[in-house]
Amino acid sequence: MKQNKNKIIVIVMMALLVGLVGCSKFLERKPEGQLTKEEALKTEADLLAFVNGTTTLVGNDDYMGGRLQAASELLADELKGDKFTGDEAEIFGRRNSIFGDFRNNLYIKAYTVINRANVILETLDLAGTNKGYIEGSSRFFRGMGHFEMVRLFAHPFGYNTDNSQPGIALRLSTGNGSIPRSTVKEVYNQIIVDLKYADSILPVTPQSGTKYYTVTKWVAEAYLAKVYFQMNDFANAYLYAGKVIASGKFMLDNNYNNRYSTGLSTEGIFILANNTTVYNPGSELRGKYRSDRNAPNYNYTDIFYNFATSKPGDVRKAWYSKTLVVDLNVSTKFNKDFFDLPIVHLTEMKLIRAEAGAEIAASNPAALAVAITDINDILTRAYGGTSQNLATTATAAAVIVTTRSERELEMVNEGNRLQEIKRIGARNGSNIDRRGSPWNCNGLLLQFPKAEQDANASFQLNVEGGCF
Amino acid sequence: MKLTRLLLLLLLPLLLFCMPALAQDQTVTGKVTDAKDGSPMANVTVQVKGTKTATQTNADGTFKIKLPTDAKILVLSSVGYANKEISATNGDAIVSLTQTTNNDLNEVVVIGYGVQRKRDVTGAIVKISGDKISNIPVPSFEAALQGKAPGVQIIQGNGLAGSGSVVRIRGVGSISASGDPLYVIDGVPVISDPFLRGNSGAMNQNPLASINPNDIESIEVLKDAGATGIYGSRGANGVILVTTKRGKSGKPSFTYAAKLGIATYANKPNFVNGTEWLQLRQEAWVNSGKTGLASLPNGITYAQATQNNTDWWDLLTQTGFINDHSLSMSQGNKKLKTFANITFSDDAGYLKNNAYQRIAARLNVDYAVTDKLKVALTSGYNRGTNRRVNSSYAGGIGDAMSSALPIFPVYNANGTYFTNGANPVRNINETKRREINNRGLVGLSFEYQPIKNLFLKANGSVELISSSDDQFETNLSTQRSTADSGYAKRYPYWGYNWTTTYTANYLLNIGTNHKFNFLAGTEAQEFSLKEYKVEIGQFAGSPYYQHIQDYYNRIDTLKKNNPTGIEQSKDKYTFNSFFGRVNYTYKGRYSLQAVVRLDGSSKFGTNYKNGFFPSVSAAWTISDESFMKTIKQINFLKFRASYGIVGNANFPNGKYQDNYRTGGITYNGNTTLYLDALGNPNLKWETLRNTDIALEFALFGNRLTGEIAYYHKATTDILLEPGLSPSGGTGKVFRNLINSKIINQGLEFSANLKIIDKKDFKWTIGGNISRNENKVVEYELGPDAVGGGTNDTRIIKGLPVGVNFLVRFKGVDTNDGLPIWLDKNGKQTKTFSLDHRVYAGSVVPDFIGGFNTAINYKNFEFSTLFSYVIGGSIYENSGKYQFLGTSSKFWNFRKDFLDRWTKPSDISQYPKLVASATDYPGVSSEDQFNSTMFLRDASYLRLRELTIGYRIPKTALGKSFIKDVRMFLTATNLLTFSKYPGGDPEITRDFENAQDRNLSPNITYLTAPSQKTVIFGLNVNF
Repeated sequence: MKQNKNKIIVIVMMALLVGLVGCSKFLERKPEGQLTKEEALKTEADLLAFVNGTTTLVGNDDYMGGRLQAASELLADELKGDKFTGDEAEIFGRRNSIFGDFRNNLYIKAYTVINRANVILETLDLAGTNKGYIEGSSRFFRGMGHFEMVRLFAHPFGYNTDNSQPGIALRLSTGNGSIPRSTVKEVYNQIIVDLKYADSILPVTPQSGTKYYTVTKWVAEAYLAKVYFQMNDFANAYLYAGKVIASGKFMLDNNYNNRYSTGLSTEGIFILANNTTVYNPGSELRGKYRSDRNAPNYNYTDIFYNFATSKPGDVRKAWYSKTLVVDLNVSTKFNKDFFDLPIVHLTEMKLIRAEAGAEIAASNPAALAVAITDINDILTRAYGGTSQNLATTATAAAVIVTTRSERELEMVNEGNRLQEIKRIGARNGSNIDRRGSPWNCNGLLLQFPKAEQDANASFQLNVEGGCF
Repeated sequence: MKLTRLLLLLLLPLLLFCMPALAQDQTVTGKVTDAKDGSPMANVTVQVKGTKTATQTNADGTFKIKLPTDAKILVLSSVGYANKEISATNGDAIVSLTQTTNNDLNEVVVIGYGVQRKRDVTGAIVKISGDKISNIPVPSFEAALQGKAPGVQIIQGNGLAGSGSVVRIRGVGSISASGDPLYVIDGVPVISDPFLRGNSGAMNQNPLASINPNDIESIEVLKDAGATGIYGSRGANGVILVTTKRGKSGKPSFTYAAKLGIATYANKPNFVNGTEWLQLRQEAWVNSGKTGLASLPNGITYAQATQNNTDWWDLLTQTGFINDHSLSMSQGNKKLKTFANITFSDDAGYLKNNAYQRIAARLNVDYAVTDKLKVALTSGYNRGTNRRVNSSYAGGIGDAMSSALPIFPVYNANGTYFTNGANPVRNINETKRREINNRGLVGLSFEYQPIKNLFLKANGSVELISSSDDQFETNLSTQRSTADSGYAKRYPYWGYNWTTTYTANYLLNIGTNHKFNFLAGTEAQEFSLKEYKVEIGQFAGSPYYQHIQDYYNRIDTLKKNNPTGIEQSKDKYTFNSFFGRVNYTYKGRYSLQAVVRLDGSSKFGTNYKNGFFPSVSAAWTISDESFMKTIKQINFLKFRASYGIVGNANFPNGKYQDNYRTGGITYNGNTTLYLDALGNPNLKWETLRNTDIALEFALFGNRLTGEIAYYHKATTDILLEPGLSPSGGTGKVFRNLINSKIINQGLEFSANLKIIDKKDFKWTIGGNISRNENKVVEYELGPDAVGGGTNDTRIIKGLPVGVNFLVRFKGVDTNDGLPIWLDKNGKQTKTFSLDHRVYAGSVVPDFIGGFNTAINYKNFEFSTLFSYVIGGSIYENSGKYQFLGTSSKFWNFRKDFLDRWTKPSDISQYPKLVASATDYPGVSSEDQFNSTMFLRDASYLRLRELTIGYRIPKTALGKSFIKDVRMFLTATNLLTFSKYPGGDPEITRDFENAQDRNLSPNITYLTAPSQKTVIFGLNVNF
């Protein structure tokens, strides 16, 4: 009897043991395919893979794959608006309101990239020999993201003399609590800190190959040039554009059509590499503008179309068509199945140095000569020869006028025009908007997603409207 | 340590399986059944006359009693039944007891892990018998519950075949977690998630649709903690127990049931024709100050437009044919009982090319191996084939209500399809979609009685699921030249859901006054679904189901090309639970129940792996007190109350852990790694504190029966997924909100009155009404942090879940025809602004219910059921676009919007038409044109069911092999009374996720109206 009792106890104990072990595993089985941070980021190679993933996010449709450019162009003055509905009609009408996924997703994706950059920056102890690239590219992604957001969601640098106008939330760590808007001045200061730090540690050559498909020192400097130019800080814009140009790493494309191509461009300073079967950056750009299949909603006003196609000999006129779709002035620039997506290119550096050089000509006469050379490089390519080139004795004012005009033509659909309206407005108060709105009207800003205020009632939204 | 002890407690009885049974001498066994219908009676006292030796019958009515040597007579007694004496030597007898009272209180109801007499139940449970489910044609069985159970809101599915209903038991207390009840079929929690296919094609897949209504013996709806407490972390939204039919005692008998009928739409919106549309377009154009002829969409000319007057609705709809046949067999003897059923049904809806076909088979077997060991097999197979069509925003009938204008043709002059605008005829002709859901549910249970009054039960069940979604576009849809350049693709998923349950049940009577029923159990469940992570598709001339080998070849190719495999987990979670229940009854009139459940789940965060859920409930049968005996009018009066803590664990799995993922792609030749979502190790269930008090009564010779109940449900630890600052860049994170609380409290009243109760003539009326007050009492986020999908319902502190937060439309300025709005403070303004938005309504109704009457005269029967909703709002999210149809939105224009301003001094319901929504001052786009202009009263009264039946008299059948024949005509949704101008007032559209489903029933977006059906039914028993 006692023996039986013991047997029972042993059986019970064993059953319990099996049961308990079984239970704990049973309940703690991991979600399949999901890795924790500790599992995902164990080595430098993991960090490199994470930087790679983050790089592809930059080219996401909601961000630089087209949404950022599209939102800018909607607010600018080249597009005809009668085919827009919903969110796009709102933004086009310069009355962007608190709702709208078109804008929300852009904002979210830009900040997603900033967050991923911060994740890397908080895990740098894993980095080894590639630390410069890993840390530098993350600081670049963060600086670039804040820059692209602040110039869409806040009044431009120079709107106030002290730039105390509200900017955007600066995200310098991975926390997800609400953060209030910093001033535009604070935001620009941080952008410059990030980009300069990136410049100081990034490698000069891409991670592999000869194309600049990964972040290098040069894109940090190119963005510094863009940032300073946006601030109308011409001396620094000239300086940094000059550094990129002087690096000799980039060549203007012979063919205007190569900038958006698969592997043909030589002027991309940072390019997202298309891979036909797995990764196709820029599909949102193609979706908005492509005109060889359906009638695109994004088409131009007659005024802009006439401006862009008025100059005889301009080879870039091939970017426009009035006949491809009946009664519409459409773009052909993106009539391609795939292309590498340049985030910043040498043409823009040339244009920045040309205009900045002319702006500082009074204090730096040598800069004017450089500026004239730069704009003439652009003109030579655009007009298939030197017929439209400026004389070497051209005045600074003439260089500026020509450069601004060429900039608009070169960078059509690239999200450039809106920032020019704002920058030139902040420069000297002039309104170049073809729609006649003052450069500093509130409707030229995107409204913040309402979710910011719902997460924290004190988050300050933009004042809406006031433009036409 | 506690866990260990609990385990010990639970495992000990299981070990007894292995022990030799103790010898029992001088025993007698038997079974007690209800004389009325032969159903087994549990808890009947079997006492040796003149002694204190007694026992009680088991759930299946059987008993075994050890007899003293001089025992001669056994007395069988049960409350509500006449005592019966039988000879003590009459072993293995089947004894029937006859009811002394004429009510259903002795009916056995299914409760969690057991059964109970209704009069002993301490929780809130509504039982609906299977015939009330199977006799009416509904797209999915749960729709048949509408109007039949107080406190249970059923918003029936829309007009798409197989569509599911939104079921809310005593309101909704969740935001991002699901508010759907737990569905338990024969003791097994089954897969009921409507989002397994998202809302592809603008329809949520409804896994419940494949369940065969003909299999259902009864449905019990468990509402309060007294009833759902035993389901612990999954009891908060209520539980729907489905019990399938089993073999009944008697010789083999067969039943053939058929339903044949037709289906159409219950209501439809009406639109203007082509000529009218063009006139209205011109009117809008001129109103906006434009001159000349108005522009038409996509460059269509007036010459082209005036040639057409297409009635798209007519082209897309049909009279559907309902065709439903079922053959079942039941037999039962001492050892073996069997129920078998096969069903075939093919119910075409009113939409062309849309039908739901159901093939089902069931075999339930009960076998008594020995007196002590019983084995039961429960097995069912269901195959639902949904021939799908697109709807709502995805096209089809949705296009007919929106962008398919009457000025568009179906075909161009050259016979090709018109493609310069929406063409839903092309859409339904040139696309094919077939979704097949296979569900096999097999359970095997063993019940062993090692000693008197102790019942050990082991049950293992497995639910096997496989689903495929075949989609095909012809080359006319893909716009390619050759016939074989259409595109075929299939999205399958497959998996299992296994559950094992072990329970030990011990009955203990101390004297005749104290009765205990102890239950302890443990349950483990694992659910797993897999899918392919790549699309299985290719150019083809026909759908995969017509050339299945190509599908398998394609999979083989993809497997070769993907060395890491192409399968991935779609969903997976586990539950592991321990539970215990004690029922104590004193003198048969005071009942007390205590329940505890410990639930662990792989869904819960690492810091909260297990939850503890206790509940208590009590009932007092006042009518059994001596002081009540003198009140003859009161036949039965019971007061019951419950309080308990239950949880809601119905949220997606894998949310507690960060989701880093190796990229499926390389970038520039190198591997990629992503962070898809942040996890939350503190993630846990929502906590519901649930109180219920109720009075059940039977009066005036049991002619008036009913129940009145009050409940109070307070949900805390509310789960929220959105609402984080978007600049955090971390996306959505499931988290339990601190300082959050949602209250549902309400009253329910149901009653049934037998006006005439004679042998040949019976007339009853009955009904129920429920009021639920829903309020978010603690919540810290702003009003727009949470929205129901793309629709305008919100969560605002102090208001119900799912409020319409809208600008108020005051009326039309008679001078200029512009809308007049009210700002936040109620001041009139003509400038629209989202800042003017206020609480304007709620999707939660004030009252819901149903009422019915049934007349039986000799062999004729006539019955009706009306269901109704009083209060609550419908928001027409697509209505705003339909009103703006002749603006640049270019949609169909609804006729009820014709009451618009056209000239000064016009008094009209709607403002003047405009060429662009932005021509109304302050409106930034048509998307933001949300106002009370499109907010409607959701009240309706619906003739939900109407049946006329006839049973052929037994005398006419004579001695033929046919035992019973019943014929009936049933109509559903025959009449609807509603002020809603947009079509059908019951709105279950496609939802994006559980949150959308919680917040936005009653928000229309081109929702296909419900079906109206008329069927002829035949039931033959032989």
